[in-house]
Amino acid sequence: MKAIAPALVFFALAGLVPLVVRDPFLLDSLILILLWGAAGAAWNIAGGYAGQVSLGHSMFFGLGAYAAALAGTRWGLSPWIGVLVGAAAATATGFIIGYLSNRLRGPYFVLATIAFSQVLLIGASRWRGFTAGSEGIPVPFRAGFWTLGIADKRIWVWIILALAVLVWLVELYLERSRRGYQLAAVREDEDAALSLGVPARQLKVAAIAVSAALTAVCGALWAQYVGFVDPVYVFSVDISIRFALAAILGGLGTALGPFLGSVLVTTVETYLRAQFGGIGAGFVGIYLILYGVALIVMVRFAPQGIVGWVGARLRP
Amino acid sequence: MILPQLIVSTILLGGIYALIAVGLTLIFGVMRVVNFAHGEFLMLAMYLAFWAFALLHFDPYLTLVVSLPLFFVVGLASYRFVMRPVIHASHNVQVFTTVGLSIALQNVALVLWTGDSRFVRTDYYSMVVRLAGAVLNLAQLIAFAVAVVFTAALFAFMRWSYTGKVMRATAQDRDASALMGIDTDRVYALTWAVGITCVGVAGVLLSPIYPVYPTVGLQFVLIAYVAVVLGGLGDMAGALIAALVVAAVEVIGSYVVGTAWKEVLYLLLFIGILVVRPAGLFGTRGAEALGT
Repeated sequence: MKAIAPALVFFALAGLVPLVVRDPFLLDSLILILLWGAAGAAWNIAGGYAGQVSLGHSMFFGLGAYAAALAGTRWGLSPWIGVLVGAAAATATGFIIGYLSNRLRGPYFVLATIAFSQVLLIGASRWRGFTAGSEGIPVPFRAGFWTLGIADKRIWVWIILALAVLVWLVELYLERSRRGYQLAAVREDEDAALSLGVPARQLKVAAIAVSAALTAVCGALWAQYVGFVDPVYVFSVDISIRFALAAILGGLGTALGPFLGSVLVTTVETYLRAQFGGIGAGFVGIYLILYGVALIVMVRFAPQGIVGWVGARLRP
Repeated sequence: MILPQLIVSTILLGGIYALIAVGLTLIFGVMRVVNFAHGEFLMLAMYLAFWAFALLHFDPYLTLVVSLPLFFVVGLASYRFVMRPVIHASHNVQVFTTVGLSIALQNVALVLWTGDSRFVRTDYYSMVVRLAGAVLNLAQLIAFAVAVVFTAALFAFMRWSYTGKVMRATAQDRDASALMGIDTDRVYALTWAVGITCVGVAGVLLSPIYPVYPTVGLQFVLIAYVAVVLGGLGDMAGALIAALVVAAVEVIGSYVVGTAWKEVLYLLLFIGILVVRPAGLFGTRGAEALGT
């Protein structure tokens, strides 16, 4: 109980904010914090708990976003079905990638995931007949919960919060279950784990698939919330890095870490966008420079992230 | 006749890819670091050529003389401040350090010079040479010639010079070479700087052929990764041959399926190699599992 108290306080506060705050800008920031936090936490399942560091996770995010958008525009289905389709497609892709790149470690795995996400990026922007090509797809707004056409940002906070808690629960499972311990053993020393009879390959593939499915759900809800899917953005390496950054800042392989990382990353970005967005659009790039520098500084001086850093100081 | 044209285009393109790939594979071989910021140094070199041309009316081939020592110094500085502290850290720390460097450099360029595509439009921009039934762009021919000379010089340096031998010794066994009295820190600094100088030269050579924008590095560096992995990470001769293979895939692919899908071809080739033979064509098996 003591270990999860900070997370419970964090989620409770996030859930209570819409009751008091009406300001759309603040609510929007909160939604994005929770959404990028959930995506960072989903990345963390593969990158943190399983040690399968990917810089191609945007492919799952993009699959989810496209599934939700296409479900509405092309087949007239509810975006909720799009969420499921996206999650299923991402799970399948995750399985394929997990199996194909199982032997690869470290930088090789990173390169393979980047290559996969680039293939999907090119596919989405060139297959005009199906995806509308590089112009992207506007997601139609159809009012109602079933069609996810919700104007009230307070309801969005709660929807995304539910997603965030779901991903967090999966992370918690990995911290407390037998499978989670086995996965940690594989991450720390795969050969030693194998020699003890831990099914390393299955565990790694499963972790990637679960991570992929949850990332796709984030992408689908993001598409519905923002209302536009642009292939160059949703499949970009930048988005993959954003997931990783939230998890690394907050603490790799910690359940609450990615959410705390997202608070930092998203707040700085929204602030700078609001501050400089109007004047020189070029200034928006400054937050990305900060991202890059933060990444270099963080992995060098505090590779255990916020949670690890605070945790080390609280312990007697 | 289309065949001579395809062959000549392949060789010209391969020469330039080789120069980018050789630097990347050198850094990997000696330092065991995959430099994700490699493309960004290429981008900076292309911008150097652009601004020297736009502001000072420097011909790109004149800029080459400046870029060589400049990128060597840039390499030394970026090694000292960014890479040296993490040279003994885990793979993941190194990956994120170079990724962080890549994002930072890319966006410094975006903030300073906007996202517009810029082009060095020299007088000889559209000049062509006819050779054995093939038509080639003059700038491409010069780029190829310089790239070949530079790569050959690098090979000779690695093969025969004392420093080159020291670098190869470190690549083979960093602990043993440290025991033999080799200052590995200096070797890493030099390796990194030489690798960055390669792209510094390549970027300037590419500037009269391709437009430059902040994210231009990604497309070239992806090709270089393909070549480097195909040739076997760390294998310089392998990278040369692989660069030609990748160029052939690109040239023939563009001819057969059209330019829109050519990237997919080499990315699939890349994934295929990673899956089937991650150690590359000439590498030793098991190199992909360098987790330890």
